[in-house]
Amino acid sequence: MTGRVCRLTGDESFCQRIREMGFGEASLVTKISGHTTSLCMVNGTRLALNHDAARCILVEHLPAGAR
Amino acid sequence: MVGNPNCGKTTLFNALTGLRQKVGNYPGVTIEKKIGEAFSQHGRPMKIIDLPGAYSLAARSPDEAVTRDVLLGRRADTPQPDRIICVIDASNLERNLYLVHQILDLGRPVIIALNMMDLAAGNGTRIDHAKLEDELGVPVIPCEAIHGRGLVELRLAMSRAELPLARHSWDVPAPIAAAVAELQASLVDTDGRPPLIARAEALLLLTDFDTLGVAGSTPLSARTLGLLNVWHERWKGQGTDWSATLIKGRYEAINHLCRDVIRRTRVSGPSLSDRVDAVLVHSMWGWVFFGAIMVALFFSIFSLAEYPMNWIDGWIAALGTWVQSAMAPGDLRDLLTDGVIGGVGGIVIFLPQILILFFFVGLLESTGYMARAAFLMDRPMSKVGLHGKSFIPLLGSYACAIPGIMATRTIENAKDRLVTILVAPLMSCSARLPVYLLMIATLLPSETVPTATKVGIMLGMYVLGTAGAFGFAWLFKRTLLRSAPALMILELPPYQPPRFKEILRQMLERGWLFLKNAGTIILGISIVLWFLTAYPKHPDPAVTADVQIAASYAGQAGHLIEPLIKPLGFDWRIGIGLVTSFAAREVFVSSMGVIFGVEGAEDDMSPLRDTLRSATWPDGAALFTPLVCVVLMIYYVFAMQCMSTIAIVKRETNSWRWPLFQVAYMTGTAWLVCFLVYQAGRLAGY
Repeated sequence: MTGRVCRLTGDESFCQRIREMGFGEASLVTKISGHTTSLCMVNGTRLALNHDAARCILVEHLPAGAR
Repeated sequence: MVGNPNCGKTTLFNALTGLRQKVGNYPGVTIEKKIGEAFSQHGRPMKIIDLPGAYSLAARSPDEAVTRDVLLGRRADTPQPDRIICVIDASNLERNLYLVHQILDLGRPVIIALNMMDLAAGNGTRIDHAKLEDELGVPVIPCEAIHGRGLVELRLAMSRAELPLARHSWDVPAPIAAAVAELQASLVDTDGRPPLIARAEALLLLTDFDTLGVAGSTPLSARTLGLLNVWHERWKGQGTDWSATLIKGRYEAINHLCRDVIRRTRVSGPSLSDRVDAVLVHSMWGWVFFGAIMVALFFSIFSLAEYPMNWIDGWIAALGTWVQSAMAPGDLRDLLTDGVIGGVGGIVIFLPQILILFFFVGLLESTGYMARAAFLMDRPMSKVGLHGKSFIPLLGSYACAIPGIMATRTIENAKDRLVTILVAPLMSCSARLPVYLLMIATLLPSETVPTATKVGIMLGMYVLGTAGAFGFAWLFKRTLLRSAPALMILELPPYQPPRFKEILRQMLERGWLFLKNAGTIILGISIVLWFLTAYPKHPDPAVTADVQIAASYAGQAGHLIEPLIKPLGFDWRIGIGLVTSFAAREVFVSSMGVIFGVEGAEDDMSPLRDTLRSATWPDGAALFTPLVCVVLMIYYVFAMQCMSTIAIVKRETNSWRWPLFQVAYMTGTAWLVCFLVYQAGRLAGY
C-alpha cells in the first residue's frame, strides 16, 4: 500500500526529525508490514514506526496509477 | 569522520587506522567518539576521529550531541577538526546528503567518501561521482570500505596539503535571514565563534530550540540566549514553522543536485531484505523465529560446549595433580591448588560457553537482525511505556550490561533512557552464565536428565530476568520517571551475510577479556579468599577442613551474615560467595571452588558440582537442595552484583543517586523474591 504524506502532527521535535529523515510532507511511503508497529519504506529506507509515531503521520492513499 | 548511522563509518575508520573498533549492522553501534591514527600517502601521521552516527546536526540524543559539538568546536576536550570526512551510504544518497548539506554550511574543508557503492549498484542506482564532485566543489571518493576499495584514493585526498572549500551555497529563506545575521554576529562577538561556524550554529539554534537542552555543550552567552528567545517568541506569535521551511529548502537543493547525479538503471522490485522481512518481522513467524534463535543458543551452550569443557576440565585436573605431586605439603601448595587452581580453574572451564554466547550475539549484530528484534519487541515494550529502540540496549545486555547501558545513548527521551539504564542489568549477562551452569549441574545430574530440561531451566532464568526488566520498567514509568509515550522511528538496515571474521574477532576479544578477568580480579579474590579461609589456623592441626574454615576469618564473617541469608536457604559459605561476587558475578563460582575445595588430596580436583552436592548443614541435611539451587539462581537473576556496572551507571547518569538506587532495588528484590520462593517451597515440602 503506497501513499503520500500530507500532514505531520505531534511534537515539533518529532516532526523535525522525520522531515530530516526524508519523511516530510509530499514524500511517498509504502507500508510493508505491521499492525501496531509499522514497517514502511521511504526513499529506499526501511523505517519502523511505533503506533504513536505512525498516528502522527497522515497519509493519503495513492491508487496504483497515480504513483 | 561523520555520517548517518550505519553508513559504514567505523568500517572505514578501522580500514584507515588499522584499529578494530566494534562494527555491526544496526544503527547506533558507535556511541562515543573514537580516535585513531592513520598515515598520509607521504607518511605524515593524521589523527582521525570517528564520530557517532547522526541524521542531522540538530541532535536528538546524547550520541548525536557528541557529533554536533565536535563539529562545531564546542567540546573542551576535542579541538575542532581540520578536515571533515563525510561518509555517505551511496544506496541512500538523498537522505545522507542532508547532513552533508548542513556540514558544508560550516565552511570547513570536506571530503566525501561515497561508501557502499556495491549496494547502490545492486539496487540499480548509478551515481555520477565526478558530477557530484563538480557540483559541490569538494573531493568525492567512491569506495567500499568493507572490501577495502577506494582507500588509496581516499588517503590521497586526505593527503592533499590544501583542500578546496565547497562551492555549495543555498538561499536561506528571506524572512529568517535577518535573524540568522543577528545571531551570527552575536555568536562571533560574544561567544567567540568563527564567522562560518557562527552562521551554521545560528541556523541550528533558530530552528531547533532543543539543541540547548542537550547536555555536554558549552553554554551560550546571555546576549545570544536573549536574542534567541526574542526570535522564537516572534515566530511563535506569527504561527510559522521555520524549521519545516528550512528542511524543505535543504531537500529541494539536494533533490536538484541529485537529478543530475543519480541514474536509476532499473526499477527494482522487492529486495532480498524485503522478502526475508516478510517472514522475520511477521506478527507470528517473527516470534517463532526469535524463539528458535534463543532455543538454538541455549542448546549450543549445553551440547556443543561439552567437549571443549571436558578438555579444559581434564587439563586443570592434571595441573592440580602435578602440583600436588611435585610440591611438599604446606601452605604454598594449598595456596596453588586450593586458591589459584581451584578458584581460577573453576571459572576458566566456562570459556567455551561464553564464546558460544558471543558467537550468537555477533551473528545477530552482523546480519542486521538486532533492529528486527527491536521492531518485534516494540509492542510488548509499549505495554510498559518504552519503545522498541530501548530493546537494543537490553538485548546487548544479554552479553554484558556495560555496553548495553552505553548503548542507551541513542535513546532520545532522557527519562526513557534512564529507565532503560535502570533495568538493563536485570537482563541475564554472560557473567551469570557460570553461576546458572554450576547450579543446574548441581541440581540435575547430567547422566539422568535430558539436555532439554537443562535448556528449559536456563531459558526460564533468562525469561525471568527479562520479565523483571519489563516489570520494573513499567513501575518506573508510572512512578519515578513518568513521561508521555515516546515516539519511535528506527531505521532497519538491509540484511547482510554474517561477517565471520568480525564475529570471530569479537568472540576472541570477549574471551580474552574473560580470561583476563580470571587472571586478575578472580585470581586476586581467590588468593585473598584462600588466605581468609586458611587463617587464623585452628589450634589443633588435625581438625577437618570444615572446622578450619568455620574458625577462619572468612568463616567468622560468614557466620555474621548468616542470619540475614538463612531465611533464603543459604548458609554462611554461600554468604561468602555472595559477598565476594559483588565484584563480579562469576566470582561466586571461584569462591565456591576455594571454600569447598579445601580438603586436600585427590578430592580437590573432583568437579565442583560433586562437592556441592555432598555439602551439608551442621545437622547433616543437604545444603544444595534442588530448591536452594533454584533460589540461588533467582538471587543472581535479580541482585546487582557487578561493580563495573555500578561505575558505568554513575558515569552515564552523572550521579551516585541512580547507581545506589539500582543496588538497593535490585538486591532488595532479589532477597524478597528468594525469601518468598524458598519459604513457599519449604511449605510445599521441597
